Amino acid sequence: MREKATTLYIGPQHPGITGNMMVRLKVEGDTIVKATTEVGYLHRAFEKLQEKRNWLQSFTLMCRFCVPETDPMEESYARAVETIEGREVPERAKYIRVMVLELARLASFMLWYGGQNGSLGLYTIGQWSVGDRNYILDLFEELTGGRVYHMYIWPGGVRRDLPKGFEQRVLKTMDYIEKRLDDYDDIMFNNAIFKKRTQGVGIVDKETAIEYGVVGAVLRGTGIKSDIRIDDPYEVYDKLDFEVPTAEGGDIWARALVRRQEARQSIRIVRQVIADMPEGSVYNRIPNPQKWTLPKGDAYVRTESVRGEIGLYVASDGGLYPRRVHLRGAAYVHGITLLEDVLKGSNVADVSAIMNSLGTCPPEIER
Amino acid sequence: MKEIKSKLVEAIKATYPEATEKDYEGNRLDFYVNKQCVPSVLTYLKSGLGYIHLSHIAFVDWLEEGEFELIYIVWSPSEKLKVFIRARVERENPLMPNIENIWRQANTYQREAREMYGIQFESFDAPQDLMLEDWEDIPPMRRDFDTEAYANKTYFHRSGREDALDVREAIIERSREEIPDFAKKYSR
Amino acid sequence: MINDKNSQKIVDIIQNWARKHSLFVLAYGTGCGAIEIPPTMTSRYDAERFGIRGAATPRQADVLLITGYLTTKTLKRVIRVYEQMQDPKYVIGFGSCTINGGMYYDSYNTIKVLDKYLPVDVYINGCMPRPESVISGFVKLQQLIADGKADGATKYKENLDYYRANQKKIIPNWVMPEYNW
Repeated sequence: MREKATTLYIGPQHPGITGNMMVRLKVEGDTIVKATTEVGYLHRAFEKLQEKRNWLQSFTLMCRFCVPETDPMEESYARAVETIEGREVPERAKYIRVMVLELARLASFMLWYGGQNGSLGLYTIGQWSVGDRNYILDLFEELTGGRVYHMYIWPGGVRRDLPKGFEQRVLKTMDYIEKRLDDYDDIMFNNAIFKKRTQGVGIVDKETAIEYGVVGAVLRGTGIKSDIRIDDPYEVYDKLDFEVPTAEGGDIWARALVRRQEARQSIRIVRQVIADMPEGSVYNRIPNPQKWTLPKGDAYVRTESVRGEIGLYVASDGGLYPRRVHLRGAAYVHGITLLEDVLKGSNVADVSAIMNSLGTCPPEIER
Repeated sequence: MKEIKSKLVEAIKATYPEATEKDYEGNRLDFYVNKQCVPSVLTYLKSGLGYIHLSHIAFVDWLEEGEFELIYIVWSPSEKLKVFIRARVERENPLMPNIENIWRQANTYQREAREMYGIQFESFDAPQDLMLEDWEDIPPMRRDFDTEAYANKTYFHRSGREDALDVREAIIERSREEIPDFAKKYSR
Repeated sequence: MINDKNSQKIVDIIQNWARKHSLFVLAYGTGCGAIEIPPTMTSRYDAERFGIRGAATPRQADVLLITGYLTTKTLKRVIRVYEQMQDPKYVIGFGSCTINGGMYYDSYNTIKVLDKYLPVDVYINGCMPRPESVISGFVKLQQLIADGKADGATKYKENLDYYRANQKKIIPNWVMPEYNW
């Protein structure tokens, strides 16, 4: 007997959702037959506001695009502005930028550990990893003055040099976190619940991945080796030695394996950057921001974040304000069309886990 | 990189003689095409030349010229080249060809363009609203939409922001204190 | 039931004391402030020391934490959530953007002053407020509750017409149930 389909709303107020968005499900029994996403609960119109802010004021809005990992956006904006203007960045600033980006990645991975396991009912690891994430945020606080919003990587370099003895403190934290990552593995990847709930769930195969323009860990989870840091290197990533992990299967389990390796690679990059960091200035001074104009032109830069590739298009008409800033986060690709298709045929109980695994970050979709 | 670029220019020009190209430093190459040939150029790039990843579709409103610009950015993982396909459409009743059947993810971009700029797409069937709800004004990302005036008209504002434009002048106003000469230099 | 004034006073004190030590916060991350809630709730800051913990549904929650800017689309849902919550209920405005719009002062899609639409008991300023200030905001709320001054919900019921008029001004398509308290 065919069961009658019912409509089920998940979100915007739901403890399992990854932010302020809604998924409307049509379910038969507990199998989803149709999913429709509804976004826009966080639309603040940043890109409109930036048309009325000057080039430096726009930069303070950039980091607010997506909260779990704010630095890739700042870096993208800084690099886009530098590309349009042709401004040189000191070598030391580039190394510091890479260090900050990788620390931000690591902090975001720690939050992902909590979210992914919390969505499956395993709360211990969230208590551990989100607690340990505070050690990285402490480093950020010392370096930039803020825990979440740093506004540190700005056009022309970085805002200030590293404090005295900062490198040692970073290395100490990295040692601690590397040790902790093994603990997370013990209770996450050796856990029968985690295995059973994730293997074969939320599958994205290779063809779908290419057709939907999937990026980041989700793409690497299908076995395709792709990383913007290698393919289209920026800052000093071409001088660094690191691996791009991949996994086969395209399910939540594969993506978790990829992210688990990537967190370790981030630690490796941070160590290398600190070892190779040259001396020198960190900031190529910009003119008076009130009178700072950029030549006519545009730039498109891409950055690798935890969720995947971020693309930022910036156009200048030669004036005091940006003509157009358009950010396309990884969640913009994953969170609407792909999510709708992946959810089809899966179980209602897995919705939250799939959303976490695809890296759905609503503020990045809606901006 | 030079070889790849010239080969691509040749290939595109052979099929689309009216397309003009602009070369940039690094791995970027721009093509200016008519809006009608956007789907065929993209199909050719995707299936013929290996530009399989649609990286971005950006929209720019050139109010002074009375046109919208759509920039399709595609990426080839094998050639490591970013190709920009730029097309312009008039601001009055803008209608663009639909590329949803080439890349499924273009759906989201097109929904955004329709909502934020009012650009319509041919035979494009998707829910009307993406981010806004019950929006009655002109599409908000257009240049002629004044967001500050709209916000002042619609929402309540807390007093105290009126003199926030120039902090220095506001401080003098409140404390009746003179700015020393050395500080004036840095004031607007 | 005891009817004389002094006994009622004692009952109130005991009630408020009990209420202030179990604040269930609705798990609704309305804005970017939601990023500082996990650190507040987990091991280092451990807000559960103060009896603060999450609640999954509006009907079990005491505190509505507005974590940041509210777009008009979210405001509609927040009002509905707030009206579903049962007494006693409190609202905390979190972040500068709930106070005066913050950096979104000229955005066409976010509200600027939260207390025109919902009665706010405590504001926490900053962008982003640190977990310490979140906890200190909750402690302030606990003090208000102990003193019997956290009466936002009563104010909302008494001045419902005022709040409704403001809400309807920016939500043109009003399809919400009218609760009859």
